Amino acid sequence: MVNVTANEMNRQEKPINMSPFAIARRKFLRNKLAMVSSFFLLSVIIISVLAPYITTQDITKVNISQMSLEPGGEHVLGTDKSGRDVFTRLLYGGRISLLVGVTCTFLVILFGTIVGSIAGFYGGFVDGLLMRFTDFVLNFPFLVFVIVLNTILFGIVNGLWVLIGVISLLSWGGVARIVRSKILAEKENEYILAAISIGCKPSKVIMKHLLPNVLSTIIVQATVTFATLIVAESALGFLGFGVPQSIPSWGNMLSASQEADVLRDKPWIWMPPAIILTITILSINFIGEGLKDAFNPKSNR
Amino acid sequence: MLKYTIRRIIGMIPMLLLISIVVFLLAKAMPGDSLSGEIDPNNTNPEYIAEMREKLGYNDPLPVQYFDWVKGFVQGDFGKSTRYKMPVSDLIMERIPNTVFLGVSSLLITYILAFSMGIFAGRKPYTIGDHVIGGLNYLGLAIPSFIAGVFAIYIFSFNLGWTPYAGSVEVGLQEGTLDYWLSRIHHVIMPAIVLGALATASYTQFLRNDIIENSRKDFVRTARAKGTATSKIYNVHILRNSIIPLITFLGFDIATIISGAIITETIFTYPGIGQLFLNSVTTNDYPTMMAITMLLSLLTLVGNLIADILYGVVDPRIRLD
Repeated sequence: MVNVTANEMNRQEKPINMSPFAIARRKFLRNKLAMVSSFFLLSVIIISVLAPYITTQDITKVNISQMSLEPGGEHVLGTDKSGRDVFTRLLYGGRISLLVGVTCTFLVILFGTIVGSIAGFYGGFVDGLLMRFTDFVLNFPFLVFVIVLNTILFGIVNGLWVLIGVISLLSWGGVARIVRSKILAEKENEYILAAISIGCKPSKVIMKHLLPNVLSTIIVQATVTFATLIVAESALGFLGFGVPQSIPSWGNMLSASQEADVLRDKPWIWMPPAIILTITILSINFIGEGLKDAFNPKSNR
Repeated sequence: MLKYTIRRIIGMIPMLLLISIVVFLLAKAMPGDSLSGEIDPNNTNPEYIAEMREKLGYNDPLPVQYFDWVKGFVQGDFGKSTRYKMPVSDLIMERIPNTVFLGVSSLLITYILAFSMGIFAGRKPYTIGDHVIGGLNYLGLAIPSFIAGVFAIYIFSFNLGWTPYAGSVEVGLQEGTLDYWLSRIHHVIMPAIVLGALATASYTQFLRNDIIENSRKDFVRTARAKGTATSKIYNVHILRNSIIPLITFLGFDIATIISGAIITETIFTYPGIGQLFLNSVTTNDYPTMMAITMLLSLLTLVGNLIADILYGVVDPRIRLD
């Protein structure tokens, strides 16, 4: 009983005819943690994109006379062991890390959604075949195969795109499974039966009727994937198997911490990327939680 | 149950074959081949090399090579390491105890942390303690393990000097003595905590939610009505029901630990399989690399199989489809 009255009170406060997305937007805008996170992530993206205008330092220039300088003076965050400015590399590194994250997320979501929705919609043999294929991809230990594939393909294609391709190729399985289960539940509704019975083509039923209704799940899944893939990129960079070492990325910058003297005595070289990476991932996760909450019709916040 | 288990194991076989084919083709696609590990490195006579190639079967058609490779793998013959000039199987056997030790310790830490936090949070939901645990879990889930590892070394090894930052045991200690084992535990504790914290969050969250859900069920109300002590209700009646679904996590943990071990072993320079794998990649030691890749894929597959079978044990409905 208590729940019902609470719901009714809430309904009176809100304008009556709000679309589900308008309600979600309202909930999201009221979520302080998610808003602060969005603001932070947006700033990181803008600053990274504008990196060439913010700093004029040359990222590739190796300056032996300025090796391992402490923060302060001309170099705000000091320089690394090759005399390159840490702050500049941090900005340019953000570009690469975010680029890899965004591109991979796009590819993973695209492929996962296509496979998941086709499997879910058609069912039967198609479903069985596609899902066995998904199981097959999910059975590879991710890190091991990214490293092996990267080693084989390295040198044949430009390093950055090899990494993006390999990561995307191995990560779409989870998204496909989730989209499939959502589509399976959604297609039982009568409006789908109606759409099929008036002669809609399967492609139209999927694109026009099914996907908009599972979009909230896909969006939430995209934020989670984005965070996971940024971690994957930087973990690979840290291990020395990410984007080529000549390109600065947060993971590549962190790999300097594998040298004991850098780790012990020169924290300004590895701490900035570690901290900014952690905060970025935290904020993406907070945004994801906020979105999940906003799209959840049961939550009344 | 037996029927279900057998069906699952048979269902795994095509997956195993496909994965072995992929690994084999990847091995063939590698620049260079494993020949250099088998022949005398000082003899560069082209005739000798050609003869050895023929003898070792590098000129056979691909399917023949594949079956030879599978036959060797099943019998434990993984070829010879090009870097260490010794059989890969010996190399792997040398490292496996370390990785297993790390994996088991990290699981132990996961269980201890998750059970104490999950039970506490589940018993007192929506209190300050619950929120703190929720927040900690969130951090544990969001912070990448390698960043946690790097900070752990910086703080606990370098600044506080509590734990060693490399190796699996102090050199010069007699194997089997108490000091030897204490030193091993001392070396494994930090990587195990970093690796174990990875899985803790999902366990804790699951246990908490399950305990809250169970505490509203009828059997709990009955127990309360009979006058059973609250602590007994939580520790016996509810916990027993909440632990059962948790065992299915065990299978997935195998996969998590495999990926996690590669990273943590590298950070802590801990001589295990993961570190051997990365070293073999950087030194182009292809036989070692392929053997470990196949082994780790096999373990992941077995992990998923265990998870599947445990699901069947826990939820009898799954066995039917």
